[in-house]
Amino acid sequence: MTDFDYIQPTTLQEASKVLSSDGINTLIYAGGTDALSLLKNDIYKQHKVLNLKKIEGLNYISFDKTNGLRIGALATISEIGSSPEIKENYNIIHEAANEIASPQLRNMGTLGGNLCQRPRCWYYREDFDCIRKGGGECFAYEGRNKFHCIVGGGPCYIVHPSDMAVALLALDAKVVIHSNNGERTIPINDLYVLPQDDPMNETILKPGEIVKEIQVQPPVKGIKSGYVKFKERDTWDFAVVSVGAVINSTNGIINNVNIAFGGIAPKPWSEKSLNKSLSSVRINENELEGKLKNLFSNAETLSENAYKVPLVRNLTKRLLLRLVQ
Amino acid sequence: MSRKVIKSVTNLYDKKIERLAEVPDEKLPPLKNNKELKYIGRGISRIDGYDKVSGTAVFTFDKILKNMAHARILRCPHPHAKIRKIDITKAMNIKGVIDIITKDNTEKIDWYDGDTFIFDEHLRYQGDEIACVAAENEVIASMALKKIEVEYEILSHVTDKMTAVKEDAPKLYDWGNISPDANPAKYNRGDYEQGLKNADQIIEEEYNTQFVIHNPTEVHCSTVDWNGDHLTIWDSTQGIFAVRNSVAAALKIPQNKITVIKKYMGGGFGAKLEAGKYTVMAALLAKRIGRPVRITIDRKEMNLAVGNRPDSYQRLTVGVKNDGTLTALGMTMYGAMGAHRDGAGCQWPLRSLYKCPNVKVEEYHVAINTGRSRPFRAPGHVQGTFAFESIIDMAAEKIGMDPIEFRLKNYAEVEANWEIPWTTKLLKECYKQGAEAINWKSKRNKKAGEGKGPVKRGVGMASQIWWGTGGPPAYATVKLNRDGSVHVLSGTQDIGCGTYTILAQVAAEVLEIPVERITVSLGNTDEHPYGPSSGGSMTASSVTPAVYDGALQIKAKLMSGASALLGVREDNLVYSQGVIYSKDDKNKKKSIQEVVRETHEQILVATGARNARPQGVMLNSFGAQFAEVEVNLETGKVKVLKIVAAHDIGRTINRKLLENQFHGGIIQGIGYALLEERVIDHYTGKVLTTNLHNYKMPTIKDAPEIEVIIVSEGDDQISAIGAKGIGEPAIIPTAGAIANAVYNATGVRIRTLPITPDKILNQVYNIG
Repeated sequence: MTDFDYIQPTTLQEASKVLSSDGINTLIYAGGTDALSLLKNDIYKQHKVLNLKKIEGLNYISFDKTNGLRIGALATISEIGSSPEIKENYNIIHEAANEIASPQLRNMGTLGGNLCQRPRCWYYREDFDCIRKGGGECFAYEGRNKFHCIVGGGPCYIVHPSDMAVALLALDAKVVIHSNNGERTIPINDLYVLPQDDPMNETILKPGEIVKEIQVQPPVKGIKSGYVKFKERDTWDFAVVSVGAVINSTNGIINNVNIAFGGIAPKPWSEKSLNKSLSSVRINENELEGKLKNLFSNAETLSENAYKVPLVRNLTKRLLLRLVQ
Repeated sequence: MSRKVIKSVTNLYDKKIERLAEVPDEKLPPLKNNKELKYIGRGISRIDGYDKVSGTAVFTFDKILKNMAHARILRCPHPHAKIRKIDITKAMNIKGVIDIITKDNTEKIDWYDGDTFIFDEHLRYQGDEIACVAAENEVIASMALKKIEVEYEILSHVTDKMTAVKEDAPKLYDWGNISPDANPAKYNRGDYEQGLKNADQIIEEEYNTQFVIHNPTEVHCSTVDWNGDHLTIWDSTQGIFAVRNSVAAALKIPQNKITVIKKYMGGGFGAKLEAGKYTVMAALLAKRIGRPVRITIDRKEMNLAVGNRPDSYQRLTVGVKNDGTLTALGMTMYGAMGAHRDGAGCQWPLRSLYKCPNVKVEEYHVAINTGRSRPFRAPGHVQGTFAFESIIDMAAEKIGMDPIEFRLKNYAEVEANWEIPWTTKLLKECYKQGAEAINWKSKRNKKAGEGKGPVKRGVGMASQIWWGTGGPPAYATVKLNRDGSVHVLSGTQDIGCGTYTILAQVAAEVLEIPVERITVSLGNTDEHPYGPSSGGSMTASSVTPAVYDGALQIKAKLMSGASALLGVREDNLVYSQGVIYSKDDKNKKKSIQEVVRETHEQILVATGARNARPQGVMLNSFGAQFAEVEVNLETGKVKVLKIVAAHDIGRTINRKLLENQFHGGIIQGIGYALLEERVIDHYTGKVLTTNLHNYKMPTIKDAPEIEVIIVSEGDDQISAIGAKGIGEPAIIPTAGAIANAVYNATGVRIRTLPITPDKILNQVYNIG
């Protein structure tokens, strides 16, 4: 760890100002569950740490049936995971939040931090000068890559680690981004970027931009949603593969469905063609297996991660069956 | 009581260990059966429990001295290199840095049996030691490490043992990469080739096991303090005398000039059985700067540089007749020692579990550019049992026999390596009671994988044999005060298993006084008589008989004193619950307090000794574990639902602590079977799993229901207490039982540990 200045702004404007002037050298701290380990392991060598937690008015969960759900960036994962309104109306968020890490980490971690956390790739986390850290090589590509991506990779092959992002993508959530030049609201899908476009960042956030709020549209009647996270260890682990789905069905026939995937790509992933091909399908195991048998058949698997292809198909099938039956 | 010095002989692996030791001249009266005992065998809560739960327990990590400096070690980032130049100028200029030692400013001190030095210019693995900084605090010391400039000559590396044995592989030593001690290590019994000819079926399979890291909760650490020419070391260690003797030799000072202390420890599992380089560095720095020094290593260093279980490649061959008789067992294995010599074999389960007249073994122990291995909870037996018990199940299936029936068919009645009988062997009873508890008959799939649907259940089992059983030298001093309180002192240590508590129970049993009146003091080389290192499952079995002997001597002194005070012959006296009565007149009595006071003694003192090991017999512990698992073939996930552990471990001294040991061993075994692996990037030679996210140890959610069944009473040929030891037996069969249960559930045989979901899916979906 290197020496750093600790900055505690009390307004978003102040925070944004610091980030605009010296964003490259500033680490944003919104709970510390990832930021601290990045500092301690010398992955980050920033000499400023900007703590957002003194900024008031960013920790809230508000819901009403006409406007939908708004979650402030500093709401903790455990607050989200224990909100009765979220559980009732957005089960997918409830399930995803409660799958994250451990109770202690959920108490500290925030939604904004979770969406902006850095990848878990072991080459990135260990002492390797990899592409994501500005080096010239992805060591995973021909190295040890059982946890790496099967789609969207190149020149870096990370998977995006956030569970919340997958759940919010399936809900078509929107992200409100603050900057001192003005606020903008974008679909969560547009928050993330593939390595081919920017191998060193997972988000499109520019210096001075801070995630402020997440917005989710009001729940449609009869809709069901859920999240399944497959991990090697039963708790305190990241997803090997995860699937979130929001589904509207009548008498076992899908009207429409929105599925998002984690653990398979450098960003939270969705397959529009899959969503389309599932509409009007009667949900049963055989039908689903037929529809899913070519899912990710175009995957560019690496030497140790081809097992993720059947895994993601099977998890998707089980999740849809669970949600409809 | 009289004493004699004997040569104590222990067969341990292929070593015949001979040690001179003073032992009681006569065999001590054995304990009664468990049911008749008042303290021994009961589930008494650990007496150090309050200290630990309340946070008042001082572990080595917590040891703070006035004016103390803090030390950190600079380690090599490359798997293989030579130091061209070290420049410490910039680091020394940092405010708060006190001193830095390297190969340039210290004497050469031999380490790892002469394979290297405390500071070597030849660096053989990522994590090899280069320099040690003392600073005003740990943060400054860590910052200084980054300012030390090292110029390396990078050498080509090899981190895979099967590559390292090839002729053109980079070499670590002038003797090459295969240890001169095992190139190969051979064992032959009977006529192996003939045994294969006599077989109706020959099964040949290959198994691989991974490297795993001990990762105890408390990291390796020492605090050291010189007072004149006397060095005091607080160390997180499993062997205070081992540390004292190694550090004395390294610093070339007499052993009486060093005191090693360890009170509480957060685990070791074998990684702390030897002195660490870090302790010597701290002592060197403390001497140079004239201040106490505390040195700690962090989790990353734990995963690089302080030991691991060696990996293994095992090619096994089983010859069997159609009636189930084993005719031949063969093994060729390669195990990686890491960068310095250490044992890496695993042949003993194959050599000693079953009756088989023809056995052939070849082992190669290979040096590679990774941290050196160290003993890890049942060295060799964990790797060996997984593979051997897997192929035994495959052999049973091939001839259509139930696995337990097959094992009973080949049950060894005498130890086959030395052809001598065991003191006790109750493995049959373990099979019987374990099978009943897991519901073997109803839960076992007749045909592997026959269950319907993608989520399948099955049961499997594996057997266990281990050395343990203890021996001399081991001593304990028992002191009785005037108020009837008792002090037990021994130079062994409690590494978290509950040694404090069980020693108190033994003294309480003999003197018939409550455990609360006994204080046990362990872990000080100056104050305590010699006690053994805590390894090999031998602490309880070695030290409890010494306490027993000491307490009996105190009792004898009391009887003698009471006899004089009461004017009653000793054989007319009876001892009951701390009071000595005349058999003829119950009013003629003296309490133990009265005896001490009235004989004008302040303290009664006696030192007890561990008895000799019986000769001409073999001493082993046995057991069998049964696993019920659920395997999801759509995800590859294995969930262990239940483990039944049925063991023959001699006397149970404390039922609660015994269960703790089994829970710990079995959960660690589940980590080995399903989760844990040190992953290396062979291209760069670097470790990818130096934190506890990537190195996946089981959590409580991965722990199944565990049922512990003890089939044994005390084995009084071993000692009057008759304990065999349980620390290592607990982990030995777990992975084999789980692998066999996975096969029974699914029909998928995973021959490479850990059994992670990707391996199951790769087989189910024919990937790769």
